[in-house]
Amino acid sequence: MVNNKYDYIVIGGGLNSLIAAALLAKKNNSVILFESNNTLGGMASTYEFSSGFRCNLVYDYIKWLDERVLKELNIKNNELEIINNDIYRISLDLEGKHIFFHRDNKKTIESISKISKSDADKWNDFTSFISKVSSFLKPLYKITPPNIQKIGLTDAISMKNLLNPILSHGTRGIADILRTLPMMMPELLDEWFESKLLRGTLAAGGIHHLNQGPYSAATVLNFLHQNIYSGTNILDAKFIKGGTNLLPSILIKKAKDYGVVIKNNSEVIKINCNNGKCDGVSLADGQLFFSKNIISGLDQENTCIKLLGNENLYPYVRTQLNNIKYRGSTARLHFALKNLPKIKGVNDDQLQTVFSISPSVNYLEKAYDEVKYGSFSSLPYIEFCISSLTNPSFAKNNNHIVSASIQYIPYTLKDNEWSDKLKKDIIKNVTGILDKYIINFSNNIIDSSLSIPLDFESTLNNTEGSFNHGEMTLDQFLFMRPTIASSQYKTHIKNLFICSPSTHPGGGLHGANAINMINEITK
Amino acid sequence: MSRIDKYDVIIIGGGHNGLTAAAYLSKAGKKVLVLERRHVLGGAAVTEEVFPGFKFSVCSYVVSLLKANVIRELMLPRFGLEILPLESTFTPLDNDYLFRTSDYDQTYKEIYRHSPKDAENYMRFGPLMGQVGMAVRPILETIAPNAIRPSFNDLMSLKSIFNHVQGLNNETFEYLCKLMTMSSADFLDEWFEFEPLKATMSASGIIGTFMGPRSPGSAYVMLHHYMGDIDGSFRAWGFQRGGTGELSMTIARSAMYFGTKILTEAAVDKVIVKNGSAIGVALENGDEYKSDIVISGLDPKLTFLKMLDESDLPEDFVNDIKKFRIRGSSGKVNLALDGLPNFTSLPGNGPHLRGAISISPSYDHLEKAYDDAKYGNFSKEPYMDIILPSVIDPEMAPPGKHVMSCFVQYAPYNINGGWDDTKREAFGDAVINTLARFAPNIKDLILHRQVLTPKDLEKTFGLTEGNIFHGELTLQQLFSFRPAVKWADYTTPIKNYFQCGSGTHPGGGVTGSPGEMAAKKILKIW
Repeated sequence: MVNNKYDYIVIGGGLNSLIAAALLAKKNNSVILFESNNTLGGMASTYEFSSGFRCNLVYDYIKWLDERVLKELNIKNNELEIINNDIYRISLDLEGKHIFFHRDNKKTIESISKISKSDADKWNDFTSFISKVSSFLKPLYKITPPNIQKIGLTDAISMKNLLNPILSHGTRGIADILRTLPMMMPELLDEWFESKLLRGTLAAGGIHHLNQGPYSAATVLNFLHQNIYSGTNILDAKFIKGGTNLLPSILIKKAKDYGVVIKNNSEVIKINCNNGKCDGVSLADGQLFFSKNIISGLDQENTCIKLLGNENLYPYVRTQLNNIKYRGSTARLHFALKNLPKIKGVNDDQLQTVFSISPSVNYLEKAYDEVKYGSFSSLPYIEFCISSLTNPSFAKNNNHIVSASIQYIPYTLKDNEWSDKLKKDIIKNVTGILDKYIINFSNNIIDSSLSIPLDFESTLNNTEGSFNHGEMTLDQFLFMRPTIASSQYKTHIKNLFICSPSTHPGGGLHGANAINMINEITK
Repeated sequence: MSRIDKYDVIIIGGGHNGLTAAAYLSKAGKKVLVLERRHVLGGAAVTEEVFPGFKFSVCSYVVSLLKANVIRELMLPRFGLEILPLESTFTPLDNDYLFRTSDYDQTYKEIYRHSPKDAENYMRFGPLMGQVGMAVRPILETIAPNAIRPSFNDLMSLKSIFNHVQGLNNETFEYLCKLMTMSSADFLDEWFEFEPLKATMSASGIIGTFMGPRSPGSAYVMLHHYMGDIDGSFRAWGFQRGGTGELSMTIARSAMYFGTKILTEAAVDKVIVKNGSAIGVALENGDEYKSDIVISGLDPKLTFLKMLDESDLPEDFVNDIKKFRIRGSSGKVNLALDGLPNFTSLPGNGPHLRGAISISPSYDHLEKAYDDAKYGNFSKEPYMDIILPSVIDPEMAPPGKHVMSCFVQYAPYNINGGWDDTKREAFGDAVINTLARFAPNIKDLILHRQVLTPKDLEKTFGLTEGNIFHGELTLQQLFSFRPAVKWADYTTPIKNYFQCGSGTHPGGGVTGSPGEMAAKKILKIW
């Protein structure tokens, strides 16, 4: 007889779900995890986009990983090896005056000084300022956001130790963080730099996966979010040896070791509720599973509106949930290539890095302007990696792949519908742009494949194709993420919890959401 | 020969905030001198007969945010305060219009005509914004605490704000948080669907600000504009009989009644600082006046970087003031008309000409106007907030003639290539052409036209970069950060030197609030 009763049911097989499931099983709970797709890993998974060519679905690299994930799941360094290559990012310039971001800041400064002496002089101060400001966010990222309105004086005092890192910089630090967070990127950059290329590249960090341009307030917040563990290596990007996909593989192994029952190809179609509490789930194939606690790695739209259904929603909650802004903004374009691409002004041994096409702040803002009026960017922000270098299994016979993230490609268009023709136009357009930077690029292409936010919604089931499960904006940050009433990983249903990127501290392959949720619900 | 007079208080700048501070201090028995650079009082709130027979509220043109207790405590009605209500907002469209008035039933019907859903929501929206406005008010009326090193008093006021916030109901708190952080477009999208309604409402989120309605932060500016009340009716706008300058004059008369001495055409050159303490001012004509306390009603850049020598101030403070964002974004076009404009969508004279006329047919209209400015040009098709003061106050123009005041956005201060006469006229033409799209007869009516670019606003009114708020109302420039951290309580690093302009908490608009609160702060510590 099939056991259909568990201490915890986890819905979704993404990174946070896997971490949550593993940690709960580690604490001797019986846990079952359902994933609707065949493969697990969600946004960290890979797929074959063309015969013989694989790619990372969403993330080619990680920005930071919550150190508690490694510690609590006992993941050893030899299991998960981070490649700390010297040059972690190259900002491309049409005339070959690229900026190379080195792990050794002295070399970065040398590279910047070729464009602007004054910017180079300020680089050290800027990076230490950013790492100082983000050090304040770090402790905040490790806690459940307080319910500001109900917070007592004792709670407030107990939060005082969160201030310690910033107080160590003097009380001025508080002023810096409060002043900096709500800023727009150009406003911050005006205080530091003059070079168009450097300003554009840094601003690109502020719009990453947002549906807003750099001139939007609080893009600095998003910038800090990306750089929270970068230290002084601003815009850091880390490759995982063997590919991003190794991360979910390890987590699946850990989860199984702790006894988690993992069911792929099992779509949850309903969270069943009784008397205001949920007691189990129904699967698409008609099976029922029961549990006292349910954890969802899906976003609010999927969890609360689709799976719980109208009968379990109060109108007020529904309004709040409907008002969450998702707004997927990024498309992924993969190219299957005959040979290793050659980039003007970059040596072959420097290719395992992230390339950024972000010539100026206005370039990015103009890319956004088009989206504002309901179209997509004709001159988009492009970030690309030759991910077959990190993951040789992605292409065989000396073939290679290039994966690009393209912004802004919105979920919906105003006076148009997404079609294969439009997608072809985008591929052609981006190929044309890449041709200017990569030698003989068009002739090197065997095949290509574009995924727009609409595609991600149907494959990954993330609403509007948002990688962050909700935009990382000031009004959806900290105690307002995803809504004021549910920022403690809780929902209006008492024993239904959420650990997806829709919760604090937001998106990215870091696992902090799951760890925070576990700490909250098991305390 | 230089004259030496001794006062208790010298106030630099005869703007409405400076005058308000003067009145309060005189009322408390201090000997106060106000020094105004121009020949008229009121700063940005002045009435001038620009063309013979035609009187204009040249810069600031509507009243709403003036605090009720200021009106009462300074006995302003006795000195001529008479606010004529502007009861409606008219948004002309290409083939239709949207006309909202203070009559709820009429407005409901009008919005229902465009969207039944919006009509329902509109009735809930107003009271909710009222609630949020009331919720913010105690915060606005608190002297901003020192965020770096709070004093005991600061902690007490923080505690009372904390208690106040805890006492709010969930809905009010949620919307307060949203208004502090969102864009006005996103915020209104949660409520309404009829684009011209949303665009017109969102426009109050961009006024005086270098942002578009889709820029986060504009929702707060919208809230800022929702906080006015006239005779207890919330979110009401009005027009002072005789123009906004007359409002300044009522405050000036009140101040003089309490004993303030006012000098016009007395441009202050420098604040005299001795041993880190302000002891008086030196005028451009060489005169010197001594006083125990000097207060500046100018914007932060002028208050600190012009009136003082940088060497008198701490270095990080100078940096903060230099970083303070004052970006002029608006211009003003004043027209003397031979008759009334005739709107294609709603022809003839009618109640729609008695209120505000808003050229804001869609978000895209506003955003495109912003895009032009973002890249360094004036808007080819700008957003405009228009009133016809002579319709409600016939004395503003000769019989049968009219004056029209157009507040225009966007006109960036730092326009590509700099402002010159050609650009000013081109900007004026853009305004007239946009207006003519909705009221084609306007071109034939114009007798005179005055175009004020941000550069002109700076030159005439001493507003740095022509910014009407003395500094943008962005989140990082509010409360304890306005104008600089540690110095948001009207004090300055210079002993006996204070600030009371719109560049201090709670910010711009004809509120009288910074002037009042600065005066009260000074009296408390004196």
